[in-house]
Amino acid sequence: MNEKKEIQTYVLFPNHDNGMRLHRELKKLGVRATIAPTPRVVSTCCGISLLIKKEDVETVEKCVTEHQIQILKIVDIEKNINPNRDRYC
Amino acid sequence: MNRIYFDNGSTSFPKAAGVPEKIAELLTKGAFNINRGSYEEAYEMEEIVLETREKIAHLFHAKDSRQVIFTPGITYSLNFFLKGLLKSGDHVITTSMEHNAVMRPLHQLEKEGVTYDIVQGDSRGRVKAEDFERLIRKETKAIIMLHASNACGTILPIEEVGKICKKHHLFFCVDTAQSAGTIDVDMEKCCIDFVAFTGHKGLLGPQGIGGFIISEELDKVLVPLVAGGTGSQSDSLEIPPYLPDKYESGTLNLPGIVGLHAALTYIEKETVEKIHEKKMELTEYFLNGIRRFPWIRVVGEPEMENRVAVVTLDFQGMDNSIVAFELEQHDQIMTRVGLHCAPKAHQTLGTFPQGAVRFSFSAFNTKEEIDICICAFERMKGYR
Repeated sequence: MNEKKEIQTYVLFPNHDNGMRLHRELKKLGVRATIAPTPRVVSTCCGISLLIKKEDVETVEKCVTEHQIQILKIVDIEKNINPNRDRYC
Repeated sequence: MNRIYFDNGSTSFPKAAGVPEKIAELLTKGAFNINRGSYEEAYEMEEIVLETREKIAHLFHAKDSRQVIFTPGITYSLNFFLKGLLKSGDHVITTSMEHNAVMRPLHQLEKEGVTYDIVQGDSRGRVKAEDFERLIRKETKAIIMLHASNACGTILPIEEVGKICKKHHLFFCVDTAQSAGTIDVDMEKCCIDFVAFTGHKGLLGPQGIGGFIISEELDKVLVPLVAGGTGSQSDSLEIPPYLPDKYESGTLNLPGIVGLHAALTYIEKETVEKIHEKKMELTEYFLNGIRRFPWIRVVGEPEMENRVAVVTLDFQGMDNSIVAFELEQHDQIMTRVGLHCAPKAHQTLGTFPQGAVRFSFSAFNTKEEIDICICAFERMKGYR
């Protein structure tokens, strides 16, 4: 059965410092952003990312420009956790 | 009898309120690393580091807190500048008032083909800005100088020298060991490319934490001396080109940064101006107190103008080390005797090789403590 997978939006950064800066600015604006490890599927840089809502992308982009925060990109990826995988391990 | 601490030029004590508690809290409740772990506690620590960068940037009027780099101390910072910038054939200008944190790396670099000229200070430790301009040649890359002398407290004209650097397109590095947290250091106004600072003197934080603030122009050419893990761009063997990661390989001194954060919060509340005012009030009280002893020579600026709260004395007719020992043993007064890691400065001031006794005050000292010291000098009259 083909289930429709959940799409998640991540903001990717060159380093932690920029991630923390954007997280703080978004918090001031009341925009929810969760700090998360960068999914390996989109980058192997080992940094952190911000998990944001799709509808907040425009606000996030404005915030990035306004505060001169360096980001790598904003990407949408499928949530890659299969609840049925390894369930009997 | 309470001990009296007059060696704040070496390191401040006591530290600012909150510093020991915050460090103990961190080490007790969890000193989680930053830029590595992906969990809430690590992010909270990153937030403190970010705030500390911002406080430092604000203090030194830096454009962007990403320009703030943490190091184990100001000596490391100055080495980062000199050894990361200069190569064989380059020329640099400095002053005769410098600490060995500048002079020894320069001496090392000289063996590798770097040349330097020294602007000679006068017997009060003053240097003239125009003397720097005369020494500039086509190989000159930078001017490096301290802001206030650790040997005698004299303030050097960094704003004027900064303008000369800007005019001649030279990098300008300022050692703020004795001025940060005491007098205003404006990176933009003074055209400084590299502010070297320490956290444990005027900034009232713990030892082992310092850093530098780097200008965009200098960052384009400065070679990072330390390479290693940064928690970023880990798929590459190249050092990340962006700040602050480029100069912060390895794990940072997080207890030190937490302590510095607490200290800077204290300074913001008290204000640099008020702390300076209190220190200078004590300095004036001390200088007035010693006027009655003609055999005590004030090394450097004899009056209140153009100085910080570092007063160095030469006890003429006595061995300065014996004076310091007597003060410590008999009067419980802690000072610093000798050459203060600044032999060139003491040559300039006429106190080489005998050295001198340095009294450096913090805003936590009192006039009562100074009275005890003056009484000790009165007693010592008989020893001459």
